[in-house]
Amino acid sequence: MYIENLCIFVIINLINMKNSKLYNGSLTTIVMKLLEENGRMYGYEITQKVKEITKGEIKITEGALYPSLHKLQAEGILDVEVENVDNRLRKYYKLTQKGAVETVNRIAELEDFIRNMQNLVQPKLDY
Amino acid sequence: MKISQDQIQSLYQFTSDHYVEYYDLQTELVDHLANAIEKQWQENNKVSFSDALHIEFKKFGIFGFMDVVEKRQISLTKKYNNLVINNLKNFFTIPKTVLILMVVGIIFYLLKMFQHNIPLIQILFSILTIIFIIGIAILSNRNKKITLKTKKKWLLKEIIFGYGSISGLINIPIQLAIYNKSDNYHNWVLFLFSFLIIILVLVEYIVLILIPSKAEIYLKETYPEYDITK
Repeated sequence: MYIENLCIFVIINLINMKNSKLYNGSLTTIVMKLLEENGRMYGYEITQKVKEITKGEIKITEGALYPSLHKLQAEGILDVEVENVDNRLRKYYKLTQKGAVETVNRIAELEDFIRNMQNLVQPKLDY
Repeated sequence: MKISQDQIQSLYQFTSDHYVEYYDLQTELVDHLANAIEKQWQENNKVSFSDALHIEFKKFGIFGFMDVVEKRQISLTKKYNNLVINNLKNFFTIPKTVLILMVVGIIFYLLKMFQHNIPLIQILFSILTIIFIIGIAILSNRNKKITLKTKKKWLLKEIIFGYGSISGLINIPIQLAIYNKSDNYHNWVLFLFSFLIIILVLVEYIVLILIPSKAEIYLKETYPEYDITK
C-alpha cells in the first residue's frame, strides 16, 4: 500500500514538472491507476480524487486530463459508458481488459523507477 | 443547489461559443463545468452562475477548450486511419490476394501494350482523382444535410464523411498524373504502377463506400451517447 501511494505521489509530482519528458506518460498512468482502484470514474471526479489524495496541493489541469482520457480510449485501454445524471449526460471511463493488463505493467515499471530513484537520491551507505 | 435544465443549455451554448462544435466533446465539457459550478455552490451559494462558470473556464488555461478539441481530433483521426488500414488488410487474405494479383496482372498487361499509344497511366490516375473528389463532395454534402436536421456534429462522423486525413492521399494520383510521361518504362515500374492503381482503387472503395456504410456501427462504438441523443 505504501509503495502504491508513493507511486501516485511521484506521478503527480512528475505531472507538475512542466518540462519533464515523463509528463504525458505519467498523467495517463495516474488515470489508469485511479480507474484500477475505483472501477469507473468521470472526468471531474478524477480531478477531485487527485486533489483529495494530495490534500489539495496538486491539481490535474482540465486541459490535459481530457486529451489523455481520449487518447487512452482511442488506444482501447479505456471504455466509455454514458448515463443521464442530474439533467445531463455523464461519461464514465473504465479500464478494458487490455487496459487492466497495461496498468499492471505500467505500475510495475513505475515501482522499479521509484526504487531506483530512491537508491540514487538516498543511497544506503555501508559503514 | 443543482444546475437547472436551462443552465445546462446555456453551458452547451457556452462551449459552442468557445469553438467546441462537436456534440460529444460539448457533452463531456458541459458535465465537467456543471459539476464544478455545483461544487462552488456547495462552498458558497451566493456565487452567480455566470461568475462560477467564468472561474471554471479560466482553469482550462489561456487557450480554453482548444487543446481538448485539437487532441481529440488527433486521436480520432488516428482511429480513422487505423480503420482504413485494417479494412485494407482484410483485402489481403489468401483468396482475395490471388484475385488482386490477377487484376494487377491485367492492368500491367494493358499498360505494357498501350503505353506508347495512349497516356493510359495518366488517364487512370486522373479518373481515380476525379472519382475521389466527387465522392468526398457527395458524402460531405449528405452529412451536412443530416447535421442540419439533427443539429448535432460528431467529430468521427465529420472525419468519415468529409475531411479524413486520407484525403491527403489524393496527392499521389495527382502528382503521378502530372509528372508521368508516356515513356518506355521498365516492367518493374509498370508493375509498381499497376499495384499502386489497385491499392488506390481499394482505398477509394474503403473511404467512399465501405466505412460510410458502416458509419453507424463505428459511431455507436465510439460514442455510447450516440443512440441516446440521436
